[in-house]
Amino acid sequence: MAIAQQQRPPIWRNATVLKWGAQIAVFVGLVFLFVTLGAQSLDNFAQRGLSYSYRFLSDPTGFVVREGIAFQPDTGARALYVGLVNTLRITISGIIVATILGTIIGVARLSHNWIVNKIATVYIEVIRNIPLLVQIIFWGAIIQQLKALTDDHIGSYTFWFTSAKGITIPWLFPTATFYQWLVWVIIGAIATRYVYRWRMRVKEATGNETYALSWAFGTFFLFGLIGWFAYPLWSWLGPILGWIGDVIGSIPALAVRLVLLGLVIAGVGAFASRFFSNLRAGDNPQLNNSVIFGMFAVALVLALAVFGGFLAIAGGIEGAGGWLAFALIVAGVAFALKLLIDYVAPRTLVSGLVDDDYFRVIFAVLLGVVFSGLFFGVDVIGETIVKLFSAFFHFLEPKFDGSNTGAPFRYAPPAVEVRGAGFVQLSSESLVITPGFFALWIAVTLYTASFIAEIVRGGILAVSRGQSEAGNALGLSRFQLYRFIVLPQAFRIVLPPIGNQYLNLFKNTSLGIAVAFSDIVQVGQTLYNQTGQTVPVVSLWMAFYLSGSLILSSIVNFANRRLKLVER
Amino acid sequence: MAIGENDIIVCEGVKKWFGDFQALTGVTTNVKEREVVVVIGPSGSGKSTFIRCINRLEQHQEGVIAVDGVEMTNDLRNIEQIRSEVGMVFQQFNLFPHLTILDNITLAPIWVRKRPKDEAEELAMGLLQRVGIPEQANKYPGQLSGGQQQRVAIARALAMEPKIMLFDEPTSALDPEMIKEVLDVMKELAESGMTMVVVTHEMGFAREVADRVLFFDYGTIVEEGTPEHFFTNPQHDRTKLFLSQIL
Amino acid sequence: MAESKIVLPDLPGAEYAPEPPPQGPVVWMKENLFSTPFSVILTIIGGLIAVVSLRGIFGFVANPERIWQAVTTNLRLLMVQAYPDQHMWRVWVSIGVVVVLTALSLAAWRVGGRTSGRKLTGNVMALGGLLAIIGLVADFPFEMNVTWAGIGLALAGLGYMIRRMMGERAKAENIPVLAVAGGLLIGLVASLWVLQVPVPDPDSGIRAATTELLANTTRIPWLLLLITGFVAYGIGIAIRDWKPSRPLLVAGWALSYPVIFLHILRGTRMNNLSEYLLIGLAFLVAGAAIIYALVNLDIGESGRLISGILLIAALVTWATPVLIIIRLLLLILAVFALAAPTFGGSGGSKYRYMGIYAGTVVVMVYLMLLATGTSAVQTQSAVPFGGFMITWLLAIGAVALSFPIGVVLALARTSSLPLFRVMATVYIELVRGVPLITWLLMSVVVFPFLFPEGVEFEDVVKVLLFFTFFSAAYLAENVRGGLQAVSKGQAEASNALGMSTMQRTAFITLPQALRAVIPALVGQVIATFKDTSLVAIVGLFDILLIAKNVVPNQSQPFNFLGSIKENLVVVALVYWIFTFIFSRVSQRIERNLGVGER
Repeated sequence: MAIAQQQRPPIWRNATVLKWGAQIAVFVGLVFLFVTLGAQSLDNFAQRGLSYSYRFLSDPTGFVVREGIAFQPDTGARALYVGLVNTLRITISGIIVATILGTIIGVARLSHNWIVNKIATVYIEVIRNIPLLVQIIFWGAIIQQLKALTDDHIGSYTFWFTSAKGITIPWLFPTATFYQWLVWVIIGAIATRYVYRWRMRVKEATGNETYALSWAFGTFFLFGLIGWFAYPLWSWLGPILGWIGDVIGSIPALAVRLVLLGLVIAGVGAFASRFFSNLRAGDNPQLNNSVIFGMFAVALVLALAVFGGFLAIAGGIEGAGGWLAFALIVAGVAFALKLLIDYVAPRTLVSGLVDDDYFRVIFAVLLGVVFSGLFFGVDVIGETIVKLFSAFFHFLEPKFDGSNTGAPFRYAPPAVEVRGAGFVQLSSESLVITPGFFALWIAVTLYTASFIAEIVRGGILAVSRGQSEAGNALGLSRFQLYRFIVLPQAFRIVLPPIGNQYLNLFKNTSLGIAVAFSDIVQVGQTLYNQTGQTVPVVSLWMAFYLSGSLILSSIVNFANRRLKLVER
Repeated sequence: MAIGENDIIVCEGVKKWFGDFQALTGVTTNVKEREVVVVIGPSGSGKSTFIRCINRLEQHQEGVIAVDGVEMTNDLRNIEQIRSEVGMVFQQFNLFPHLTILDNITLAPIWVRKRPKDEAEELAMGLLQRVGIPEQANKYPGQLSGGQQQRVAIARALAMEPKIMLFDEPTSALDPEMIKEVLDVMKELAESGMTMVVVTHEMGFAREVADRVLFFDYGTIVEEGTPEHFFTNPQHDRTKLFLSQIL
Repeated sequence: MAESKIVLPDLPGAEYAPEPPPQGPVVWMKENLFSTPFSVILTIIGGLIAVVSLRGIFGFVANPERIWQAVTTNLRLLMVQAYPDQHMWRVWVSIGVVVVLTALSLAAWRVGGRTSGRKLTGNVMALGGLLAIIGLVADFPFEMNVTWAGIGLALAGLGYMIRRMMGERAKAENIPVLAVAGGLLIGLVASLWVLQVPVPDPDSGIRAATTELLANTTRIPWLLLLITGFVAYGIGIAIRDWKPSRPLLVAGWALSYPVIFLHILRGTRMNNLSEYLLIGLAFLVAGAAIIYALVNLDIGESGRLISGILLIAALVTWATPVLIIIRLLLLILAVFALAAPTFGGSGGSKYRYMGIYAGTVVVMVYLMLLATGTSAVQTQSAVPFGGFMITWLLAIGAVALSFPIGVVLALARTSSLPLFRVMATVYIELVRGVPLITWLLMSVVVFPFLFPEGVEFEDVVKVLLFFTFFSAAYLAENVRGGLQAVSKGQAEASNALGMSTMQRTAFITLPQALRAVIPALVGQVIATFKDTSLVAIVGLFDILLIAKNVVPNQSQPFNFLGSIKENLVVVALVYWIFTFIFSRVSQRIERNLGVGER
């Protein structure tokens, strides 16, 4: 029986061609859709005499931010930064408290004590099932109806003072010498680590109790104490930091751009080479090189085609130039495909590269082209990086000069005073929790805690069902069972979903807009109401939230990986 | 290798890599019509990969595989044709848990072969009769024992009226008492003249039913021959070692 | 492999477990409250927290400063905003549709276990106990304390008496839960004839001038709805053995949304009736012919070619000035033509496939008739929805619309085709990484700019679209979880049987994946339902915005200034009731899935 030899099937039956045809068609369709919508929005904008621009970032603003590190920011960028810090403040404090509260409630939910168990259950069922926004507004309404400030309230208080203008509590503020003290604390932390390890080693070697934890605490405390008095020892750092700042500031933007370009190219190269190292036509080394050459050729031609596409779109496909660019794209894609089919595919098929590998390399090169274009073409990026680093060192410089004296912290009791044009206000010297902050913080924290509680409960249950039997069989006590068996495993189970809750909390802080809390969204809204630059503001929001989500989830992922490694 | 008149499966120099690991290092063999070929070998020797390449559950990267005169290429029509001619039975049964036994068997005939529903059901009941469990037709897979599930899986593959049946360690996931009921069905099938390629550790089955035994190691066929020859007089050292360990 | 439901075998020797010895309250307290010194401390702290919270909450409610009349007088505003009087019957009919469908479904799926007299009386006693405790500790006026405590003790006593009277029979699980629920509903509706609330005087604006029935205008409709529900349940029981009853009900639920919101509540006048029907008919005939030809097995590649050309033609119409209905129907036809060789078999399944096509065309024509029709209900805004009604409109609409998108995204994200995977991942991560409120703000300030002049959307539509896109990303992640839970062997088995990718997805992978993620999907419904409150920020008058900004600012004819807390508490309660019910349903489904067909 003869085999019906058919080396290359017709394209409409070729599985590979169909697969890629469908993908590229959908992709091109989507790009077309977005380009059409984008062009339309530019048109509509132009009709109003506007064009997208980020100039509002450097233009002076005329509005007051209700709270944060500055009340009257001078530029749009500064205003957004104030909002950003407010968002982060509430996120971080919320995460800490929600974690503690949620863990307590989650454990309480498993308690054998009837009343504690029921309280936890009622808490979770009530808080979880009411929309967060309703809760935020409710807390806002509660604080609105606290007592108004009058002349009678002027004075200083020991614990706290609540009013419709906010709540003030005692607080320790870092002073100018704080940073020098911090250096001592950091050194102390490093020393603590070594002391702890050393005591643990002694313990393991001798079997005696070495009080490692006490030693560690002692060391840390000692360094804190020394630093409290010895901070001026670091005052020589100031000039050096200033000099570093100057040096960075004098770096030409071109150099930065070149470095960025180099980084992009190196990144693409490193990424692509991972796949080439997988090539395994071991008995024919020349094949390797030709395949690499072929892949890069395909990638480059495609990249050029995309560049041509940008040109064509930028110029609008009109006139000879546009059509030329268009023709270039078509020719480029066709040529790349021809290369792929005739030259690369037969060889890579042998060497075991799969579709995904092609795709990754091509995708990496395309991304590389886009990013290098961005980094090299948009000079603001390079300049901003230089400026930011330089500003960071110049910010630190005065903190480390000899002129600073006094304790690293300042204690500020709550106080009510008369400020400005005779208005009674909460003293800004102490910590003032504004009504917006209070409402948002408490609602978000309680809300997230209820979800964390359920996760903690689920995690503990998931472990204890199987493992506690094993632990009991070994004769562990209830405490030992929890300490050594259940909790370490439960922690690993609950970490990813709790990380998700952290992300939710981070995003939920944007609801502060309902109680006029000046987070990045509220400030942004004010900005675009003033300038009409909606799309740029929205793009900044997206950049902020996406990178925030990315950072948070990579922290959680990192912790997760660490735990996994420890476990094995 | 010359292609014989009756060869229904032709493999020539088949190679396959998973990442850096080469699972098949060049397999060349032919299977004749109505032949029962048993593939044995240590785990990780590539025997499962080999039969999974025959109906393209894995894609081989070098060499030629042709089934019933149709070469395995990127051509959709060839893939469709080969898959509908080759039935497969898996180690883990892989019955569809959300469908009844009857639906499990009739699904493919109705939708792939485009048979009318009542015809397909009649066929399915006949097959269930053949594997000995017609009374389970309206149950769900989860309600059946492992042996019964595997027999359903055989019936399901047979419902496509394949020319070739592939068995990938069909008894490895079964309790000892259930192995026999599955092997009996397979024997009956072999006697009825079905072309079969069986990966298994059941040496008794190999000895009794096989026309030919292939011994796999390092991703290739180390030795092949009739059962008597293979079990009584192995040539290769690797084969001798393997047989001494399992017999 | 899987566990089936454990049933006590009818074998001699099989016995029920012995009853635990009866416990006195002292033993119970010793075990559950005072077992260890630590537990004693916890009990004291917990007791304090409980007392303080109960006092706080009920003190807040009973505080004479509370203006609860602001809520009771404005109930209708909160629910339906300014929906006109003469059209109120539409609201009742809509609720009626839901009631009928619910009753039918309860019957068709045989919902409802049985409970025992012991449990029921236990619940009554617990309720009585709670009321009594509240009566004892709450910060009420003295007579109210006495009343509550009295009612509570009476209830507890009643429960105890009944249990004593039932004796041994109380242990048997023979009382249908649905009967109890029905009884409660009857009681609830009956109470509408009794419950009195104080009402302000419309002339002088004095609060609590007189009292009047809470459900003054609504008790008759509620009674009718109750009767309708009972009748529908009876009908449901009669027809539940009829095989197509369940699929028909599912279709009914799916259609209920457009029927209720677009047809009944909007009172749509179908302006293009004859024209659209004609177009629909043409597509029915032509489409049926094309599909009939394409289903034919022998047609092979040329069939694929024809359907490909159809698809391209359908896409091209989007760039040409053709009626939207024609574009949509052409697209549907192209998709059905593409899938014809896969799903249209010979014999019976061929006609079923054509039937599904015909059904889709009919539904699409109906929907387009609704979409292009004008509203008979005139309010200030063009879309006559507001209050709690808009919450439902958005929540159900977003989930229903996002479901297909979410499934497609999940399939793309788990696909073996890299470009699809990247596109889906980018979409999902982009949407999920940014808070909903920024998307909603975008729907108001950016979205309108994306379209040429003349194309304008209602605010509700814009928000609904963005809710849909948002919810789709989250849904996709849920579905992806389900898809990954389906073992690889399932796909291999279907490949080995020669199924195409589409067939594998439709018959094997998706059904299993969706079954596994039903609880997560209900969770998504709950989340979306809660999220709809965010529309208040972009200025849609939902229940929250009315409660926050409208009622507390009423000074004429009644003075309800500053009643924001009262309103918010009621809004929270309304949301809570529904989310709580949803989450219970979800838990129930989860339990039932565990003993399902796996």
